[in-house]
This record gives sequence, C-alpha cells and structure tokens, in this order.
Amino acid sequence: MTFTRRNFLRTVGATALAGSTAAFAPSIFSAQAASVSGYKALVCLFLYGGLDSHDMLIPYDQDSYNSYRKVRQSMINQYAGGSRSRSNLLALQAGSASNLGGMQMALPPEMASMKTLFDNGDAAFVSNVGPLIEPVTKSTFGNGAALPPRLFSHNDQQATWQASAPEGAQEGWGGLFADAILDAGGNAGAETFTNITVADSGPFLIGKQAFPYQIGFRGPSSVDALEELSGFDVSGEEADFGNRLKQAFIAQNFNSGHILERDMANALRGAFDANDKFSSAARNAQSVTTPFGSDPVSSQLKAVAETIGLRDVLGTNRQVFFVALGGFDTHDAQAAALPARLKMINDGVSSFSDAMKELGLNDSVTLFTATDFGRTLAVNGDGTDHGWGGHQIVVGGAVKGGEIYGSMPEAKLDHDQDSGGGRLIPTLSVEQYAAPLGTWFGLGASELATALPRLGNFDAGPGFI
Amino acid sequence: MKGRLKSGIVATALLLPLLSLNGGLTPPREALAQDVEAENYSFFGNRRRTARFLTQATFGPKWSEINGLTGTSASEWFVNQTKLETDYALDIIEEYREAYQTEEDDINDLIASARNSAWWRNAIEGQDQLRQRMAFALSQIIVVSDMPEAVETFPQAVGYVQDIFARHAFGNYRDILEEVTYSPMMGFYLTYLGNEKADPETGRMPDENYARELLQLFTIGLVELKGDGEPKLDLDGNPIELYTNADITGLARVFTGLDFAENPRTEDIEEVRPDVWALPMAVYPDLHSPEAKNFLGITIPEGTGAADSIDKTLDRLMSHRNIGPFIGRQLIQRFTTSDPAPGYVKRVARAFNQGRYVLPDGEEVGTGDKGDLMATLAAILFDGQNRLGSAWRKTDYGKVREPVIRLTNWARMFDADGQNPEYAPELFSLGEIGALSQRPYGARSVFNFYRPGYVPPATLAGARDMTVPEMQLVNATSIPGYINIMAEYIFREEADDEFFEELQEEFDESDIDVDEAKARTALVPDYSSLHSIAMDNAALLKRLDAMLLYSTMSETTKSNIENALEHEFFEEYEDEEVLDEKVRHAVWLIMTSPDYLIQR
Repeated sequence: MTFTRRNFLRTVGATALAGSTAAFAPSIFSAQAASVSGYKALVCLFLYGGLDSHDMLIPYDQDSYNSYRKVRQSMINQYAGGSRSRSNLLALQAGSASNLGGMQMALPPEMASMKTLFDNGDAAFVSNVGPLIEPVTKSTFGNGAALPPRLFSHNDQQATWQASAPEGAQEGWGGLFADAILDAGGNAGAETFTNITVADSGPFLIGKQAFPYQIGFRGPSSVDALEELSGFDVSGEEADFGNRLKQAFIAQNFNSGHILERDMANALRGAFDANDKFSSAARNAQSVTTPFGSDPVSSQLKAVAETIGLRDVLGTNRQVFFVALGGFDTHDAQAAALPARLKMINDGVSSFSDAMKELGLNDSVTLFTATDFGRTLAVNGDGTDHGWGGHQIVVGGAVKGGEIYGSMPEAKLDHDQDSGGGRLIPTLSVEQYAAPLGTWFGLGASELATALPRLGNFDAGPGFI
Repeated sequence: MKGRLKSGIVATALLLPLLSLNGGLTPPREALAQDVEAENYSFFGNRRRTARFLTQATFGPKWSEINGLTGTSASEWFVNQTKLETDYALDIIEEYREAYQTEEDDINDLIASARNSAWWRNAIEGQDQLRQRMAFALSQIIVVSDMPEAVETFPQAVGYVQDIFARHAFGNYRDILEEVTYSPMMGFYLTYLGNEKADPETGRMPDENYARELLQLFTIGLVELKGDGEPKLDLDGNPIELYTNADITGLARVFTGLDFAENPRTEDIEEVRPDVWALPMAVYPDLHSPEAKNFLGITIPEGTGAADSIDKTLDRLMSHRNIGPFIGRQLIQRFTTSDPAPGYVKRVARAFNQGRYVLPDGEEVGTGDKGDLMATLAAILFDGQNRLGSAWRKTDYGKVREPVIRLTNWARMFDADGQNPEYAPELFSLGEIGALSQRPYGARSVFNFYRPGYVPPATLAGARDMTVPEMQLVNATSIPGYINIMAEYIFREEADDEFFEELQEEFDESDIDVDEAKARTALVPDYSSLHSIAMDNAALLKRLDAMLLYSTMSETTKSNIENALEHEFFEEYEDEEVLDEKVRHAVWLIMTSPDYLIQR
C-alpha cells in the first residue's frame, strides 16, 4: 500500500500561542478549606504594555476637564472625530459608594457598552490601583517608603501585578487562589482545568499545585495526523498505527536522568492527556449562542465562555482564566492606537457578560482588568510614558456596580498622588484589589494571606464585590 | 596588605594551568605542543563531537560536513568561518524587488516579505553559518520586530538591522549599539524616531522608551552583577538596583532630535520612501534637548549635541562592569546551555572584557578591545565546560532547541532547497508567529520570545531554580502545533499540479506567475540516500541517530520509534515509496522526541 500525504498527514496546525505547559502536582489536603460549593470563575483580562487609564476614565465636570485638557491639549487634538472633546464623552453617574471629591468621570465614546454595564450595575471601576509594599504618600515617596522594586519596567511590573514580585516570580495570586480551592477538594478529577489561559500568560495562574492549561481561540489543540487516523475503525490498522505514533509523542516509558529531558517528556505527556480530556468534554458541551466579535478580546473571551460551558462535563466548580490584549505601550500615536483597543475591551467584555447571562452564570463569574502600570498624565508629543497606579474595571453580577471605588486623583500635575509627570502613586495596592475577589471566590482569611503575602500591610480596601 | 598581595600572586600562579584548559590564557610552555594538539582536535575528534559542535555553532550540520570536518581543526574552522563573505539582507531584498516588482513603486507580498526570505535563505543555504547564527543570537538580545503593521510593507526597515548584526557578528558590541541606535527601525520600534526635547509650556517630556530598554535589555540589566553574572547583594541580602527613574528621565534626553534622514516629521509613516529605512537617522539639532543629561553617575553637560551625547552614552555603558556578564550569559544561552555555571559566565565575560581569546590551536583571536564578539563567541563554544565529555556528565547542561533552528536543522540535513523560501508560504507569512511559536525578527515585543531569566514553574528545573528560556514556549497548544508543522515539512513532496494551483492563487494577489521550477524544489527534502538502509529499522535509526542526535538516542525513544516503524503499513520493503514514508516517519518521530528537543 502507499500513502498519500494529502489525506493522511497533510494539514497545518494553525493554532499556537505562547504560554506554559499543562501539568499538575497532586493536592495536599489542608485543614482550612476554602468554600468550593456551586460554580464560580474569575477572569483576568491583562492589558499588556500599560493601559493609560487617564484616557479611559476621563475627568468630566467642567473644571476637571479643563484642567485635564490643559495638560493633554496637544494629544486631545489628535483623536479622530474629536472623541476626547467633552461633548463626546459618556458621563457616568456614580453611586453613593463612590467618593470622587466632587469630580465627575466619563468614558470615551468607544466604550458605550461599558457604560451600559455600569448603568445596569454589572460593572464598576476601582481607581488608582498599583503595586505597593506599604502605603506611600508623596512625602514618603523617595523619602523612606519601601517601594516595589523596578517600578516603571514592563516585565517586572507585569510580574509584580501578577505575582507580587519582579521578573522571576514563580507563583501568582491566580495560581495561589486555585491552590486553596484544590486543597479544599475543589475540581476533584478535573484539577488540570482549574486554571486556563487563552493568551501569553505570565506567572499569574501558577501556584504550588495549580498550573495553567493553554487553549487556543478554538479550544484545545490536537495532532492532525492522529485526528485523521482516529477517524477509522477503532480496531483497524489505522487506529493501531495512531496508537503507536502517540506512544512515541508522549515519550512512553521515557526514563532519562537529564533534568530538561525529563521536564520535556512530562510536558509532552501532560499536554496530550489534557488535550484528550478537554476535547472529549467539548463534544458534550453546553453551546454558547451569544454572538462575539472577531477582535482578539472577543475571540479569547468566547473561548473562555465556551470552556465555562463545559464545567459540568469537565467537573470543574472553581476556575481562574487569563486572557490578554497587547499594544497598550502607547509612547507613540496614542490617539490612533488606544481607542481601537478600548473598543475591543468594550465589545469583548459586553459579549462575555451577555454570554454569562445566557448560561445563567452572571452572578458566578467575575471579570477584572490588570495591566503593567498606568501611564504619565504628561504627554511626550503624541503619547505617554510608563507610570504606576491606574484605574481598573470589574464586571459581573456579583460586582456592586455603578460605582467608582477608591479615591480619584485630581486631573492635573503635581497633586498629592503625583510622583512626577502624573505617574500616580497608588492609593490602593494590588492586594487590596485582589483580596475581595479572593474572598468572593471562596478563600478564607488565612488562605488569602498566603496568596497575597503583603495583604497585612494594608487596610481592607473597598468592598466592590 | 603585603600578605594579601603575596597570596594573590600565589593564587594566580596556581590557577593558571587550570584556566588554560578553558582557553583564554596561555598554557605552560612545556605542555604546549601536546596539549594544543589534543585540545584542538577534540572538538572535531569524532563524528559525535563534530555533529554536536556544528549543532551549537550553525543552523544545523549537513551530513557531508559531519563527515568532512571530523578529524580536522575546529579552531581553523572557526577562523575560516569568520572570513567568509555574507549575503546582506538589503541586497537580497533588492534582488526580490527586481524579480517581483510588476509596476514601479508597487509593493506586493513577495517583496514585502523579502527580508524574511533573506533570513531563511541565509540560514539554510548560507556558507557563513557561524556569522548567521551569531547574528540571530544578537537579534534576540537587541530586539526589533516587524510585528507592527506599519513596517510590514518596508522590508528594508528590518533588513537594515539584520545587516548590522551580520556585519558586526565578529566585530565589536559597541558598533552594533551605535548603528542600531541610529537605525530608523529601532527608532520606530522603541518610539524615539521624531522624539523631541521637553516643552515646559505643554509639559511634554522626552519619550523614555529607548532609554529604559537600552539599559535594561541591551546593555547592563537592572541590578548589579558580579563578574560571573550572579547578582551582587546588599547587606540585607537584596539585589542592588542600578538606576532609578531619574536616570531614565536624564538618559531620555539623549535620544531626542533623531528622525528619518529624509522627510523628517512625516505624519504618515507609509509615505516614507523604502530606501530611507535603510539610512541611519539624521540629527535635527533644534529638536535635541539642550539640557544637561544625568544618568548612571555621569553628566553630559548642557548644550551637548545628539551625536556627541550618544557617543558619551555608549562609552559609559560599554565601560559598565555589568555589560560583560550580562551579555555573555545571554549569548551562552543562545548557543550551548540555558543555565550556565557562574564560572562559565565569568570566563565568557572575561573574553568580552579583554577582547581576546586563545583558541584551542593556540591562535589568539580578538582585537583586545572590550566588547569583541569574536573572542566572546570563541569563549562560549570552546569552553572546557562545553566539551562533550564534560557536558554529558551533567544532568542540567543543555537547552531546549529553538523552534526555528529545529526547522533549519532539518532542511540542511536533508538538503531541502532553501534558495526560494517565498515558495514555502508558511516561512514567509508576514503576520503571525505561527505554529513554531518563533519567527526571526518577529517577536511580539522587545522582550523576545522568551526571557533569559525564565524559570519554568512546576518542573524539575524550576525546583532547582534553573533558567530555561525556551521552555516558555512549551505548552499544551504549542506541543501539537510543533508536531503538526514538522509533519508539514518532513512529509513535503515535490510539488504537483494541485500545489501549483494553490500557490498560484496566493501569488495572484501579487500579480505574479509561479515559477514552476522553483516551486518544484523549494523546501523539498531528499531522503533517497537512506532508502538503501530503510528496510532495516535498526540500521535506519542508527544512521538517523548519528545525523540528528549525534548518536545519543535513548533506548526508550528507540523502542517507541521502532514500534511505530514495525507497523504493517511499512511491510512492503521493495516499494520505494513505502521506504520513503518510513524514513519520513522516523525523522518526524525523532524530531519530536525529548532526546531531540533538548540539545545536550
């Protein structure tokens, strides 16, 4: 017999996203168990490059807007359609839990669906959040206060947001949250699918036990040749050949003493095991009919929504997801680049919210944003430079929406939270932002303290959920 | 004081003979002749050693090279490689423009991707393998990428930077820094093209992007290093940061006043003439910051011009104690091992700092200037730790092979024609990184495809705190993705009519006729030399083991592959096509095995 490549081995695998291997270490039972009843999921939307949230939550009352315009005049003029003119902004009526010091805030016109979510109580903002070691004021900044190492550096602040330490940090709070769930016996038999990434994830989803499982936009990946061969009779020669190939692909019985070879063999086997399980669950999925756009945020959140649709088949009851969008490092041409990205957030998040309502899980799934850092209020010509604190979005039925939590810095330079050029000294630490999410997810106080080692350095943050 | 001095001399004298094993210093005279001979021939001492050395130093050995170079002098090979002419990307881009331009000023996919085609052609077919491999390594430290859509149609933008790395691959690191600093591509990528001095009226500040990444990624890193690349610690045991944001703000003023050499201040980057991307940026003095520039303990006085300021900046960075170990360790990771021992880093950093290295045959290479890359690369490849005998005893020596180098390795070993990469569309695709998770000059960000400090979590390596950069690309999606893309190439056959039609449809968008002769052979492997042994599984695997794994295949991998090859599909031994399929499957299963994926 002969082979013809076209019907046998010839299909290109087109899905590839960088990230990490699937692997899972066995759970160690802990006496202090997190709550794992029902279903809950957290979805981290990470904005790589550092979102200029000065340009998302925009001062709106006339005085603040004038002050903002004064600093940003040259760039405001560069936005197509005058989208940053005051008359085009979407003013937000924040509720009674907000303390804006007399300011009113607005969203840019490309975030109309976010305004609807806000108005309906499904979304809130948390202002001026960023990495801190301890509370910092302008007088202690550069004058004795302990500061997070390597401020303003992309990779290090990404790692600090995700894992409380600069690059090299191994365990993120999404992973440690998952550890608490696994310790409490959550996701029994489906531990591999506790933490799932659709993007290039950093340490966020990694715990001592938990480890991210990587999927593509269209779910798990497979070896095309094995798919082809499995289409034949299970007892036939094709299926037998497929089994032999697979045995080689998973490096059956591999016993090298070399560390990297062992790690690679484990990664190969782990990937095949997880992909097989996931694919078989996907065949029995609860389908999601809510339409999603084709932009990267929508595509990723659609994959998340579909994965959440598999929860009963997979046997998961607590999950942490990671999706991401890049391109926020707007040193240059911010007026051209940023609105398109804010629109992707707007579109993707609102479709996702609809999909969760469709699944009856609006109260069970909470999405939140994170980013490298905020940016300068000062303009460098046609863009902004690396900053520190920034405003974040939280979305879901459990969120006490329609509010802007935290304290809003004034719309000018040299105020009390300005470390220079409008780089905001955060008034809320990442820990204060993460802790309410963890508590909602089911973690107890001591588990939270493990996941967020510096939590004790801060007061309780706003209870936005 | 006196005692310390004395013991210092004694210690140095004792160390000399030991150090000579690793090159870099002259061995004692009496042992010289014999040792030199043994040393020199050890790297190409047998086929295993030759194949391994070429795997590290090139885009993959050819079988004829393994056989031809074994028993010759590796030092001579190294020096000869540095003398070979190179095919510059800009010349190849021009060749593509002439071949594929249908109307004047017309840009089509084949021209737009010509810099990519230039890269693959040089990697697969170039004689100057060592230079090409070094240029690729440098491009993963000083990163530019054609991912931003705006430069997609200007192959000259990245091509110009490719040529900087190729030209100075064995030159001086400072020359690279200087030429890259003035390149429009880096100016665009790290957003200082058109960057202006501060304006107190509007509060506008100079863009800080390049200032930060130049320090953090391209020269000295973030924290003080010892000579062996390990971080220095303060009294509390914490790493010592090298600079604050005030240094960055000061340095940012240096990179103001640079813009395209022609038509500066353009509103629409797409309007820039392609050849202007291949000219250094010019200085526009009015836009350059007149303020004093303070950073890293130096002050460039107020009123200093851009060119002078850049000179002083690069001098300062080259004089920094971090640069040798910082760059040296990353270069080691690109060639030989992911988590080099501090002593190895120290020896490589010393070659970088002293600008000299003594090859195993006794010849000294390098100019003696700090930053000499020929000396640095020689120190990496010829280090005693890197010899097969020494490395093989360690269970933590080696690295994950870079995905694109796996592909070039296959193409070179099986004589797949790399002259016309545009006829293998997956190689020249413009946008996505693709199933390999890596694309030359196509990283998603200035942080490259993987970070030098990446410690893979939940692994044995992670438990030992080992850095394994390429492991960052390994996950449940990329694993099947890689297996699929390798099948695509390994099973590639001479093009048939159906393939021509498919290709013609793609070429129609550019209004170009498919050249059937080129399409017929592009990236098509030739396994015919293996047919005569293919009926014998043991013989076939033994040969492929020598070709792809320098004869190190594990028993379990051998048994897993034999099990597949013993399938009844392959029973008709006399049928050439079946034999060919069998070879293809064997190659595929080897190149997806842990034995291959880890280069030891």
